[in-house]
Amino acid sequence: MVAIDRPAPREDSRMWIEKIPAAYWALVVILLVIPSFASDFVMFQIFGWTFILGLIALSLMFLGGYGGMVSLAQMTFAGFAGYMVAILGASAIDTISQGWPWWVVIPLALILTVIFATAVGWLAVRTEGIYTIMITLAIAAAFFYFTRQNYDVFNGFQGFNSVLPPRLFGVDWRGPEAFYYLTLFWAAAGYFAVLYVARAPFGLALQGVRDNPRRMAALGYSVTAHRVAAYSFAALLAGIGGILLTWQSAQISPGTVAIQPAIDILVIAVVGGLRHPIGPFIGAFLYVLLKTFAVDVLVALGLGGERFNLLIGLGFLVIVFFSPDGILGLWEKLRASRNRDPLTGRERH
Amino acid sequence: MARGTVTQRLAATGTANALELRNVSKKFGALEALGDINITVKPGERRAVLGSNGAGKTTLFNCITGDFPPTTGAIRFFGEDVTTFPEQERIRRGLRRTYQISLLFHGLSVLDNVYLACRGVSRGRFSMIRPRRNDALMQSAEDLVRVVHLEDAKDTLVSDLSYGQQRQLEIAMALSGAPRFILFDEPAAGLSPTERRELVEILTGLPSHVGYIIIEHDMDVALRVSEQVTMMHNGRIFKEGKPAEIEDDPEVQALYLGGGHGHG
Amino acid sequence: MRAFARRHPVWTGIIALAAAVALWLIFAVWPDGLEDAIGRKKVFLNAFFNGITLGGLYFLVASGFTLIFGLMRNVNLAHGSLYLLGGYIGYYVADSTGYWLLAFPVAFVVVGFFGILLQMLVFRRMEGEDLRQTLVTIGISIVVADLMLWGFGGDFYNINPPEWLSGPMDTFFVTAVKSNGEAVYMKYPMVRIVIFAASVVVGVAMWLALNRTRIGMMIRAGVDDRDMLSATGARIQLVFVGVFAFGAGLAGIAGVVGGTFQTIAPGEDIRFLLASLVVVIVGGMGSIPGAALGALLIGLAEQFGSVYFPTYAVVLTFLIMVTVLAFRPQGLMGQG
Repeated sequence: MVAIDRPAPREDSRMWIEKIPAAYWALVVILLVIPSFASDFVMFQIFGWTFILGLIALSLMFLGGYGGMVSLAQMTFAGFAGYMVAILGASAIDTISQGWPWWVVIPLALILTVIFATAVGWLAVRTEGIYTIMITLAIAAAFFYFTRQNYDVFNGFQGFNSVLPPRLFGVDWRGPEAFYYLTLFWAAAGYFAVLYVARAPFGLALQGVRDNPRRMAALGYSVTAHRVAAYSFAALLAGIGGILLTWQSAQISPGTVAIQPAIDILVIAVVGGLRHPIGPFIGAFLYVLLKTFAVDVLVALGLGGERFNLLIGLGFLVIVFFSPDGILGLWEKLRASRNRDPLTGRERH
Repeated sequence: MARGTVTQRLAATGTANALELRNVSKKFGALEALGDINITVKPGERRAVLGSNGAGKTTLFNCITGDFPPTTGAIRFFGEDVTTFPEQERIRRGLRRTYQISLLFHGLSVLDNVYLACRGVSRGRFSMIRPRRNDALMQSAEDLVRVVHLEDAKDTLVSDLSYGQQRQLEIAMALSGAPRFILFDEPAAGLSPTERRELVEILTGLPSHVGYIIIEHDMDVALRVSEQVTMMHNGRIFKEGKPAEIEDDPEVQALYLGGGHGHG
Repeated sequence: MRAFARRHPVWTGIIALAAAVALWLIFAVWPDGLEDAIGRKKVFLNAFFNGITLGGLYFLVASGFTLIFGLMRNVNLAHGSLYLLGGYIGYYVADSTGYWLLAFPVAFVVVGFFGILLQMLVFRRMEGEDLRQTLVTIGISIVVADLMLWGFGGDFYNINPPEWLSGPMDTFFVTAVKSNGEAVYMKYPMVRIVIFAASVVVGVAMWLALNRTRIGMMIRAGVDDRDMLSATGARIQLVFVGVFAFGAGLAGIAGVVGGTFQTIAPGEDIRFLLASLVVVIVGGMGSIPGAALGALLIGLAEQFGSVYFPTYAVVLTFLIMVTVLAFRPQGLMGQG
């Protein structure tokens, strides 16, 4: 389950813009024009949520796919950023919320999130492999219980409501269309940032650490520092996702950072596929569709809507059992088998 | 006193041997893997170390690179005592090695593997900016890929390479970042005759200031790429000389060449 | 222990001092000043006993987890589900037959059987693939949790101990001295004490079995070097299945204990999975004494935390974990 970059041939002399396959252009156009025909619900609830969850799961994909570290604390980092925005900015809980201007609050919230994640990363990378999952799960649980019990800063069980995005340029950013473009922008920014960094020295070194930490150390790289830095970078993505998530529901509470959502992020990233940054968005889209429409399907099957988790769990199990690389892996298998000559079993070119 | 040391050191770098091992031994518990090894390699010299399995050749390499320290003795690299230096420090001073087992980065392309090796001894390892096409390190990585004849496979993932290509890549990584001295650990093992010929070409085509020690079972390869030969047996040096002398030595033939390792 | 004292004289001193203070707090009659400062001794003693008995429960759950991890390097994140399943089974057995004691063997056997299924259908098929095992067991725990919610509903269940175990028991701990000089002794629920004693017996028995029997030697050899164990011709798969069944069965028994101590309800699976994780991270993965130490520490931290700083009770637990990770990542009793 490693992210694999297939670099484009370098000798290509065309402009970068000409090298993008037609399918990508089609996707870009579709994503840009969706608001012209989709309903408010589809824009805000389906796509807005997909982009946000995809962004948070992308931070897990970066850590897991390129760094070989599977963290269950990504939702915690997202929720932390959301809490910071609620605490430092404005909310209905004006006894706690500071009401600072957005241009202080948002950068500060992201910086604090990165610091928090760096500390967690430093703890988590002291051990390896499966320990990482266990430790990040424990940290996620600790943060959840802490927010639920702490009333001075995190306002306990209730959390914060009426956490709204700033009215920048006179636009109501929670309006369906504006929110759609806002989340699309950040999802795309995160996607391209991950693609870009993956081939920068830091990203390459991180993949080197994933493949062979000992050799990397022998080459003069600091394995620990690269791993910790990966947590910091991933937390930036998760933090942006968390702020958007807080604005979407206009509230943040311990429920946002509970164990279940933390595991949901893992499910999304793994089901989509950890090999490429598009995977988390595919996973998120499926998850949101299921979460929105599964109730109807379940009722139609006579099972009752509350069996949603059963469906999610079974779907997850099937994917991990049969395609450890998620939907992306299935897609690649399918393509490989289509390229294969049915008689000789050789690849066709 | 201090001035004396500096001048001594300066003088040493000018005339010093590339590698000097003095009375090096290595014990694992009661087992003596290396005993009383004395080797002197001049700058630019190419030397083969021969010996049957278990003669202590790889242990010797591990002591030189700093994988583990020798039990006794001293190792000097271009006049500097590096006996207690960690592996990275030795790499920084221009010492490289290849590994028998594959220790490559399987999820990355050939070029990226070499690039990482080049980058390891430079600054900016945490850079989030992609290297441009005219980036100096990327250029030297491309050059090295060409040196080992992998230019057609430079964008291939390591996991998709053939075994022979992986060995070639291993050599390219050892050549990265201006090496002064390289240790080759059985680079020809498992290669086809064609690939062996290419390997000999690569090794003989190295810049003349780069010296190396090569461990090799294939006498044909070993004797063609070296100027000096050290024979090892049971962790000790058993004979030293020019390739032709060693080849014709009756004792060596009885012990080693006669043991089924026919050549030619 | 003597070797430890020689190597870490400062730590030994600190530990000895802490133990002496704890013993004094438990046995001495508290002077008035102390009661004013930190509350009544009865509250302290209750927290202490609750912590120790909760530690016993945590040990039962975590020892199975750590045993399985230690031998097979399998992380079974469905361990909490096994605990909860044991609790439900125990409830039904105790409720329908009226025999509380019968709940234990039934829960052990049934949950142990589930453990065998898990080992043969999941872990054996994915040997060496840590991440996939973890993901699959997460998936299983999601599915099982929902199936149990479906089957048993969202209600709270409480397993009632039999007549002869219910009610308080007199102990010899003095909580206070009345004005007429008469000592007041502490009363504590009988069932908790019995169960704690039972978990100590289980722990000691496990330790003895691992250290004094042939099969135990085999298992420990497997922990140190799996290749060596298979090389000796031991039927390693059989040992694996056996250990997995035993570890799962322990979780089932723990479920019955938990249902008697506290309640059985949806969500308890995650709570006890987390408790097991923290216990083994603190104690050291794969070590039975480590699990015992970790369970005691965490149990005490939780109970004292909830009495003396209720807002941050849970945080205290995790603070212990973070401290251990920062200074001794392999856990207090872990190797290496």
